[in-house]
Amino acid sequence: MIVLDKVDKIFPGTTVPAVKQVSFQVDEGNICVFVGPSGCGKTTILRIINRLIEPTSGDIYIKGKKVSDKEVNPDHLRREIGYVIQQIGLLPHRTVEQNVALVPRLLKWPEERIKPRVKELLDMVGLDSNEVIHKYPFQLSGGMMQRVGVARALAADPPIMLMDEPFGAVDPIVRGRLQDEFLRLQKEMKKTICFVTHDINEAIKMGDHIVIMNKGELVQHGTPMEILTEPANDFVKDLIGVDREIKLLDLTRSSEIVDRNKEVLGETREKDCFISALDPVQRALETMMKNDSDIVVVRDGEKEIGTICWGDIKKLINKLSGEA
Amino acid sequence: MDFEMERFISALIDRSPPHALVHLQLVLIPVIIAFLIAFPVAVLLTRRRFVKYTDRVMTFFNMGQTIPPLAIIAVFFPFLGLGREPALFALTIYALLPIARNTLAGLKGVPQEVKEAARGVGMSEWEMLMRVEIPLSMPVVMAGVKISVVLTSGTAALGALVGGGGMGAVIFAGIDFFRPELIVAGTLVIGAIAIILDRIITLIDYMLTPPHMKM
Repeated sequence: MIVLDKVDKIFPGTTVPAVKQVSFQVDEGNICVFVGPSGCGKTTILRIINRLIEPTSGDIYIKGKKVSDKEVNPDHLRREIGYVIQQIGLLPHRTVEQNVALVPRLLKWPEERIKPRVKELLDMVGLDSNEVIHKYPFQLSGGMMQRVGVARALAADPPIMLMDEPFGAVDPIVRGRLQDEFLRLQKEMKKTICFVTHDINEAIKMGDHIVIMNKGELVQHGTPMEILTEPANDFVKDLIGVDREIKLLDLTRSSEIVDRNKEVLGETREKDCFISALDPVQRALETMMKNDSDIVVVRDGEKEIGTICWGDIKKLINKLSGEA
Repeated sequence: MDFEMERFISALIDRSPPHALVHLQLVLIPVIIAFLIAFPVAVLLTRRRFVKYTDRVMTFFNMGQTIPPLAIIAVFFPFLGLGREPALFALTIYALLPIARNTLAGLKGVPQEVKEAARGVGMSEWEMLMRVEIPLSMPVVMAGVKISVVLTSGTAALGALVGGGGMGAVIFAGIDFFRPELIVAGTLVIGAIAIILDRIITLIDYMLTPPHMKM
């Protein structure tokens, strides 16, 4: 869907490239997360995709079309790509309605199509459209503004979204909620998304695919599981941090390690230690600790399919660390 | 010099009005022309292609205000002679700087993230200028216009020295004939003109100010 081919960017007045020979591909319907420390070039990559920055060399293709061509009008290109930034950048002198309708109006949609679309979008991102539609950005909370920012990016239903630390400006609780809601939305929308963050936890949570960058170079890319189990070098290991195993538990489904042969004892059942087969293993661990038990019952819907005990989790940890 | 109340009132009521009207023209025409020049020029100077000329152009505007209008009239005397036109010309040059400087400051004050987002959703440079940058910089621009108007109101009194008329004629008559009533009356009317124009522009400013800045 999105392909970058040997992209270089050297900013005028500098000699060190901000982005060096970066090539990768984002598949349709995937969230690709770019992660790395400040100045690693992740935001530059994003801005090269919608041509807010022109690359020094290299090509960018979207749906097979070379968009880095001089003939492609960058303004028109950007109207086809949703763009969300950390500072949100709502127009302060326009109402929520006018902000969300920005791109449809630039694309000259008829007004009778815009009105219902704005309402639909606001409801979709979890805002009460009747309440906020005529408000100005300064009358909203940070979380609400960020939702409006997402609604604005989605307005013209672009197949591609670029999101630069979209949930970076809100507190951790609101951030977690926005992430969950966005993932739920994404399940229906199936947009192709490039997502920038400096937070590896956010990357693991949001990403189908993770691209790790450092000093303008692509260090490693792969699924969250691949990154966690096979970090390419010490830089990636440091980035993941010391709680790698815990993060792995979050990526493994309980159904993968459930012991289907063990008989479920009445005592366990009484303790209310149940989890769903779709829950991550970390959930099993949490449930054990909360109920002071060393075994949990795994259910698939209403059916009990087996148990996970402390030993099973330990075995998994040993196996995952052994792979690394 | 005695101060006679009767003469003062007569100066105010009978003598001043026609001069006040001329004075108003000596303020409004230069400020409007100065706005039509300084505003677009300042907007151009914030565009990437023209940024490099900013210093040079602003030096010119600065000179316009530091050189006394009388000196400008003297320099242009061979071309424009005496009377209304040279006065208007000199006052226009004088009024340019505050408008140009505030337009520059206003446009530079538009938050970076708003511009970034506006570009990011696909606004062209022109759309961004008309829908984002100019509306958001209006309060600062209008503050510049206000400074120009108040400055020009006072300076326009010098217009009478070159035959341009205005309230200066009343004041200089008072000086020439030792009539303090005329000097005070002329000064008061100029003050009133400055205050009234200031209020009017404040009203226009309020109408142009984006809602989130009205507080």
